[in-house]
Amino acid sequence: MVEVELYGLLRLYAGGERCEVPAGSLREVLLAVEARFPGLAPAMIRGGTATELVRVSLDGREMIEAPEQPLCEGAVLVLVSAQAGG
Amino acid sequence: MGVFGRILKVELAGDRLHCEHVPLDPEIHRAFIGGVGLGAYLLWRFAPAGVDPLAPPAPLVIALAPLLGTPLTTTAKLAVVCKSPLTGRISDGLSSSRFALAAKRLGVDAIVIVGALGRLSTVHLDEELHRCRLEPAGALAGASPAEVGDVFAGAHVAAIGEAGERRVRFASIANNGRHAGRGGAGAILGAKRVKAITVRGDATAPVADAEAMRERARDLARRSQGAATDKYRRLGTVANLETFDRLRILPARNFQAVSIGRRRARKLSPEGLGAEGGHVRAGCAGCTIGCDHRFGGTRLEYESLFALGPLCGVERPDLVLAAAAACDRLGLDTISTGGTLAFAMECAERGLAPWSLRFGDDLVPWIKRIAAREGVGDRLAEGSRRLAASLGQGSERFACHVKGLELPGYEPRTMQTMALGLVVAARGADHNRSGAYQADLRPGVDRFAADLKETPPRVIETEDHAALLDSLILCKFLRGAIVDPWVEGAELLKMAAGIDLSGDQLRAAIRRIIALRHLYNRREGWTIAEDTLPERFFSEALDEGEVVSRELLQGMVAGYYCARGYGADGALDGALLERLQLGRWLDDRR
Repeated sequence: MVEVELYGLLRLYAGGERCEVPAGSLREVLLAVEARFPGLAPAMIRGGTATELVRVSLDGREMIEAPEQPLCEGAVLVLVSAQAGG
Repeated sequence: MGVFGRILKVELAGDRLHCEHVPLDPEIHRAFIGGVGLGAYLLWRFAPAGVDPLAPPAPLVIALAPLLGTPLTTTAKLAVVCKSPLTGRISDGLSSSRFALAAKRLGVDAIVIVGALGRLSTVHLDEELHRCRLEPAGALAGASPAEVGDVFAGAHVAAIGEAGERRVRFASIANNGRHAGRGGAGAILGAKRVKAITVRGDATAPVADAEAMRERARDLARRSQGAATDKYRRLGTVANLETFDRLRILPARNFQAVSIGRRRARKLSPEGLGAEGGHVRAGCAGCTIGCDHRFGGTRLEYESLFALGPLCGVERPDLVLAAAAACDRLGLDTISTGGTLAFAMECAERGLAPWSLRFGDDLVPWIKRIAAREGVGDRLAEGSRRLAASLGQGSERFACHVKGLELPGYEPRTMQTMALGLVVAARGADHNRSGAYQADLRPGVDRFAADLKETPPRVIETEDHAALLDSLILCKFLRGAIVDPWVEGAELLKMAAGIDLSGDQLRAAIRRIIALRHLYNRREGWTIAEDTLPERFFSEALDEGEVVSRELLQGMVAGYYCARGYGADGALDGALLERLQLGRWLDDRR
């Protein structure tokens, strides 16, 4: 399983803050997240793709976007708002 | 159109005030647009070289902008530009308010204040110069900016708090509850013995293409209400704290850590803060985004939250909110206040300083001492760089500033594009004139390892973008709603002021502005040695081993200047000045 954490606006849209979905490609994982939290579509996740408003971080470090990137068992995906200033 | 082609020059001396309109070159807005650009030009023009920022001849510039006064959302902003008493370098602070709108109705593009009064007074400025006058501050001495606003209810007021009166080097200027905070402009007003400025006028700058402007204003307002700005509207920037904690970019305990843990971060999230004392939302004048979030009645943004919270080891929302309210009331920049206190806390804990201040303490008593320059507060009021210099004992290595300006809430060791952005920014460690953190959070950028070739252009891109928005002036929170800021910026400038610039010409103007800021700093003694971080970031690894490479950073600084077309040492040659069409303006001194 891949653990998915939601922060900021994503949490608000989703109405939840974390979930576990089966491991797979980034696209497959985001599709599963979208199905788990329909409120994220279409503004945040659309058809398994994060929109320009979202950044996807692998284990809180590298920002990733390639749909086919494999996410292994035990990976943690951190979804945050793209806007960071303040 | 959109502009007036003149400034209001205000000369103060003893108990006298002299106001005059000074015409501007008709090409000035093509060359420097407005806001921070126009302000940089006016500072260059009116500031004597080497002037003490707190001496009477030092000018304080309130620069307005071509889009100000139009129906465009988020344009009710001004720029306060000066030589910073904290850094000795150029400083520009933006602030949104009805005061900005009212200032433009004076019929001028900027206000330049020079000289000093004999006693604390309010300066009343009027479109009709013979009505400009002084009024002794009397009982307003020591009052908060909000209290001053209440006294002049019905007028539009910019004011300083007690900190400005006492020339605290990071005092702010407040207007309608918003602060031009960074760099200590409030101390300059205090040194001029000006408690407050009111403005009154009815002048309007005709819009070049009023119909197109109305249509664009409706369109931009619609775009500003979309998902791209929803974060600011629904949560505010305070939502960054929990995210930054998770990504290990949240500075804590004077930059000794990058996370405070999930449970503590959650307490300082919008939900946690709201649970403490309620949550209401407001907005700046003429803004359709509405990012102003108040918790328990106190306005709070991420930077104030980080600086008065985790940076000082403060975890309780009520203590953070009380500290932020105290800074507002006394007129202090929250980032420098938190940064200086965090430094003082670490000094105390290391046995390098005699005071009892410790991480996690209630900050309010110390903030009051700073504003009053009472006891040890007098030393803290000088900011962390001067405090470290007076303490010695190696404390300089963890005094977290660049050019004397305390660092904002982005950890350089885990945001290494930002590290370069922080060190090359003209006004010192800065997140508003260089939004390099945006690059660090992009896919494809390794934020833990900067790159000699790739990183400098990324910093330049965000600097140029920020300078564009700060010159027009448009709020940066609109950035997600604008597809191409260069194209739309040029269109807006033409609609508002009839200034016809291509996107490339606009980019050239922005490069000119950035070069002028740099030239101002060079004139005031800047050397490339200033473009660095405190020793801590080079030699103290974070919990997962991250440090900034000194050699790499030095190389990137040189690469940054080269990419801008300067010499590797930051020097600008005659050919570049010619290309930037800057030479003619440099001769334009008082």
